[in-house]
Amino acid sequence: MTPTISEALVGNFMTLMEPPPPESAGEFMAGKIGVVGLISLLAAEEAEKGAAVRFAENRAMRTLFSEAAAGGWTPALTARLKELARGEDQDLTISGLDRANAELRHALIALQTAVEAAPGAASLARQRRIVRLLREGADARRLDLPPMPAR
Amino acid sequence: MTALAAAAGPATLEDLIAAYLSGLWKKPVAVENLARIPGGASRQTYRFDAVMGAERRGLILRRDPVDSLIDTDRRIEYLAYQSFHPLGVPTPEPLVLDEDGGVLERPFFLMSRIDGGAAASPFTVDAYAPHAAEIGRQFFSILGTIAAADPAPLPISRAARAPMADACWSTELDHWEQELDKDELHPNPIGRAAIRRLRRHPPPPAQKLSVVHGDYRSGNFMHDGQGRILAILDWEMAHIGDPLEDLAWAIDPLWSHFDPTRVSGLLPRAEAIALWEASSGLTVDPAALQWWELFNSFKGLVIWISAARSFRDGGGVDPVLGFTGLYCTRRHDQILAEKLEALLEAAA
Repeated sequence: MTPTISEALVGNFMTLMEPPPPESAGEFMAGKIGVVGLISLLAAEEAEKGAAVRFAENRAMRTLFSEAAAGGWTPALTARLKELARGEDQDLTISGLDRANAELRHALIALQTAVEAAPGAASLARQRRIVRLLREGADARRLDLPPMPAR
Repeated sequence: MTALAAAAGPATLEDLIAAYLSGLWKKPVAVENLARIPGGASRQTYRFDAVMGAERRGLILRRDPVDSLIDTDRRIEYLAYQSFHPLGVPTPEPLVLDEDGGVLERPFFLMSRIDGGAAASPFTVDAYAPHAAEIGRQFFSILGTIAAADPAPLPISRAARAPMADACWSTELDHWEQELDKDELHPNPIGRAAIRRLRRHPPPPAQKLSVVHGDYRSGNFMHDGQGRILAILDWEMAHIGDPLEDLAWAIDPLWSHFDPTRVSGLLPRAEAIALWEASSGLTVDPAALQWWELFNSFKGLVIWISAARSFRDGGGVDPVLGFTGLYCTRRHDQILAEKLEALLEAAA
């Protein structure tokens, strides 16, 4: 997990509150403050879209599980996929969505491992479907920096 | 402040260094202009002047941190400098290693300082203009020189284990998978998919064993602003392995300075590889390089996941850990997912 918004911003506060020793007060502290600024920018992006991105990712995984549950997996995996596919996010805080996301991701890893072990064209199609979901999720979670010139 | 003056009051880092050098060089040494500088996230780095009468030497202190981005062996880093400085690879001259470290509270080493240059942040745009091509030619040629060296007689071989040529890949993959197992705070299906893919499709054995810098990339070298590389820095992840590992890390998209047409923000990919081949005397097997590229994006992802862990465990006081744990984790997740998707699409 990447640092949460609250961890990032509390970290910024702690960084600025800690008085540096004399030898760290110049160039090093200036660099540190620059990174604190970047973290604040990233935290702002994450605050804006973080909940929506997690909600969408969780829903995409549940849809996938619903489609894939009948794939002939072990009874335990099949039951797990069916159960998770019926779920719904009730807690819409980022931490609540992350808890659900962790459970769904564990099941996704198990499903993907099973799919990769299966032979044939159907397996390849499922692999492509899963990897596309992963890539789309990573695209959605990406955070962008402003264009910064070299100094 | 001299060692004598230090005895009169609480010992500052300046005092401690002065006392240490006075003992080492058996003459009074004063330390001036001590300043911590950014860079080399696994160690604390300081620059200072050691003054002995009319003589003044610019030095760098690299000291173990309380916590760091990556846990690395300072002896291997020191021996890497000892290995390549005499071979003409631009590096600072290593001077002394103190693994006990009691005098400065933690293990450290000292090396000469190279002035008159700067290292670019890898997250800036067009960082090397107007000298990108010139620097790029040096950057990939130097990497080829490192790859060409026989590691067996080099000092680094006193501390770094040499794997079998057919085990370079698994040694590295095992290591970084263990790091992921140790530091993962949230399940990462992209990283796990990459591990399975890398194990299902291993690369051929290394064509030779080389010293692998381990973090050879934009941002880890100093240049003079006029098109000349002054020093290759940050050898803390050096090891012996497949030379393609370094090449693949250097051309990872994270280090492209947001320019998809130039690797490391320096040169077109094909030109960079050709320079490396000419300098190393080795040939790049595209399939092997593809394996090492996927591996390195995975390795990067794990480094950032570990950074996020250290940021949380350390109370959030190191913003570099927070930044890399947040920004770089997301970017390498994306880069890795794109590579996995491209491989599958090619198979389909």
